[in-house]
Amino acid sequence: MSSYTTRSWVTIGLFGALWGAVEIVLGSYLHLILPPQADTFLIGVLLGGIGVAVALTGRHFASNRGSVFFISVVTALLKLLSPGGIKIGPLVAILAEGVLMEAVLWVASTRWTFLLGGALAIAWNLPHKFIMMRLLFGKGFTQVFTKMVQDGSQTLGLDVSAAWLILAVLLLIRLSVGAISGWSAWKLGGAVARRLGR
Amino acid sequence: MERVETGRRGGAPAGTLTTSPWGYLLFTGWAALATVLTGGWRLAGLLLLELLFGLACSRKALRILRRPRFWVFILSAAALGPFLIGEPDAALGPLHVSWEGLAAGIEMAGRASALTLAFSLGLAALSLSDVVAVFDRLGLRGLGFATALAMNLLNTLREMATVTWQTIRQRGGVRRPLIALRLFLITTIANTLRYGDEVVNAATVRAFDPNKGPPASLPLRRADLWLAAALIGCSGLLLMLQR
Repeated sequence: MSSYTTRSWVTIGLFGALWGAVEIVLGSYLHLILPPQADTFLIGVLLGGIGVAVALTGRHFASNRGSVFFISVVTALLKLLSPGGIKIGPLVAILAEGVLMEAVLWVASTRWTFLLGGALAIAWNLPHKFIMMRLLFGKGFTQVFTKMVQDGSQTLGLDVSAAWLILAVLLLIRLSVGAISGWSAWKLGGAVARRLGR
Repeated sequence: MERVETGRRGGAPAGTLTTSPWGYLLFTGWAALATVLTGGWRLAGLLLLELLFGLACSRKALRILRRPRFWVFILSAAALGPFLIGEPDAALGPLHVSWEGLAAGIEMAGRASALTLAFSLGLAALSLSDVVAVFDRLGLRGLGFATALAMNLLNTLREMATVTWQTIRQRGGVRRPLIALRLFLITTIANTLRYGDEVVNAATVRAFDPNKGPPASLPLRRADLWLAAALIGCSGLLLMLQR
């Protein structure tokens, strides 16, 4: 922590504010115009993608180990203190994404670790809802979910194993979105640094 | 624009029943753990305890109970249970429901309520000053500084982004959306970093160093000790009832 200068902390605050602004402003807007069913599978991926791009861009300017995680902590706190009230799901998602990105960047800060960090962070979006529902509702949720998958497969005339295929496709989409966010962050960070002459 | 102050929270003098931030954090942690480890009708007791804590120490946080979205979320769990859990063994008109499922649904709703309230009553009751003070006490002064900076920056960011967007629009930038988006992002982030340079200069001039100086004191209050004692008592009661 002693390697963190005042400039490092200011940069962490700035990018935490940027990510927080996206979560609070764009998040409220999307929740208003889209139905609740779009929560995880559209809003979560979209907000996660933008947030990951912002946080990884911040790594360009605060290159200390742990900076991306701290950016996610600042963002989570802004979300907590915002007028929208406390929502456990988004807080956990933001922190989990920060941990995953930082775990990859801890090794090195290159274009490929940006891509991988972004991909893993957005991939979290898929199990996140299930984990949060299991945590909130307990073991009863597992029974509800299993029954819904069985009933849904019967109704659609599909084999239950098709559910795994659908999940695999959804995971692939998230990995792709995350990788694009990571790549964008690498390019954006470079462009901003050139603009500022750094 | 209202500025969010981050000075040391005055707080109530010793001897009153207002808990310090440690009390709120202790309650959140205890209530969340108790919810996960307990079950059945004991959840009703836990909910009652949370309501009592809210009435005594955190009334503002109880406003979550007035939100329709909270009740829709909670009651949907109770509503799904009778149809999706267990074998149907009762008829409600044309619908066949399960008593086992109803019990499970109510337990699910109770658990979700207890967890949501635990976080709402504890964490949501903290102000920005409390958060900064806790970080300072834990030796993370820089993180508290970054959080306070971010909170104060939100409105400025909105203005910067609005001005940037309007400038791009007036210069015909929206005719090429991808280039306009790239320009918007680069300009907004660059302006934000320039703002950061001013903050760094201001902090340096005031000899602020997040790595130096002793952590500020954030003492426990009498109410925190009473709360801790009460929670220990409740833990013992829950353990006895669990057997």
